[in-house]
Amino acid sequence: MVDQPLWEQIGSSFVQHYYQLFDSDRTQLGSIYTDTSCLTWEGQQFQGKNDIVEKLTSLPFSKIAHSITAQDHQPTPDCCILSMVVGQLKADNDPIMGFHQSFILKNVNDSWVCTNDMFRLAIHNFG
Amino acid sequence: MAGEKEIWQRIGEGFIQEYYNQFDNTNRMQLGLLYSDEACLTWEGEGFRGRDAISNKLVSLPFKSITHILTGQDIQPTIDSCILIMVFGQLKADDDLPMAFHQVFMLKAAQNGSWACTNDVFRLGIHNIPV
Repeated sequence: MVDQPLWEQIGSSFVQHYYQLFDSDRTQLGSIYTDTSCLTWEGQQFQGKNDIVEKLTSLPFSKIAHSITAQDHQPTPDCCILSMVVGQLKADNDPIMGFHQSFILKNVNDSWVCTNDMFRLAIHNFG
Repeated sequence: MAGEKEIWQRIGEGFIQEYYNQFDNTNRMQLGLLYSDEACLTWEGEGFRGRDAISNKLVSLPFKSITHILTGQDIQPTIDSCILIMVFGQLKADDDLPMAFHQVFMLKAAQNGSWACTNDVFRLGIHNIPV
């Protein structure tokens, strides 16, 4: 088994942690953002941990489940990590929808936080 | 103020326009110049490192004609003065059916003030939207 590069290990762990929190208790997501983090959610901009968590906790569903199809991780020149996730999600009794989401992770005081987050639902058919 | 854009927004939009114009309307041989020396590209899960490797990959993609139609783009400044871009839309290669795609870029300013792409992740859309 080939060892994964460090950025892939960190990226995968983050992704797993993020969706686990998101799907179980979105109020806990504050721990992964900072006061200067940026979120673009379906084209709408939010800045800072508080505004971001407020947006995420106010999303209008009771239940949500994400299923990750693919994830790509890269190191960036400033020692950050860029992660891109593709998958599907199901909110309440809505039909399953595709989504893609990008994150930039930065090491702050020995823990990896998310400084940039972009989320979009997939809106085009495949094929 | 309506109509005024942040500088990172304008830089991001300029890059997107240049990238897809070159991709769709040239032989793609100059695309490598948009990347930094040590840039990373992940193309459908396959990794490429460095401008030369990236350029070779893009130039060797197996279609004669390609058109990208952008549906949307999200642009953000990063804490290290970089610019993060996420683009999504559809593409049509040769006589293939249109396919969804999304692509993420990170841009960084070089010492001479010009912006280069340091990170690029491309994926075709692989999930159907519900009927």
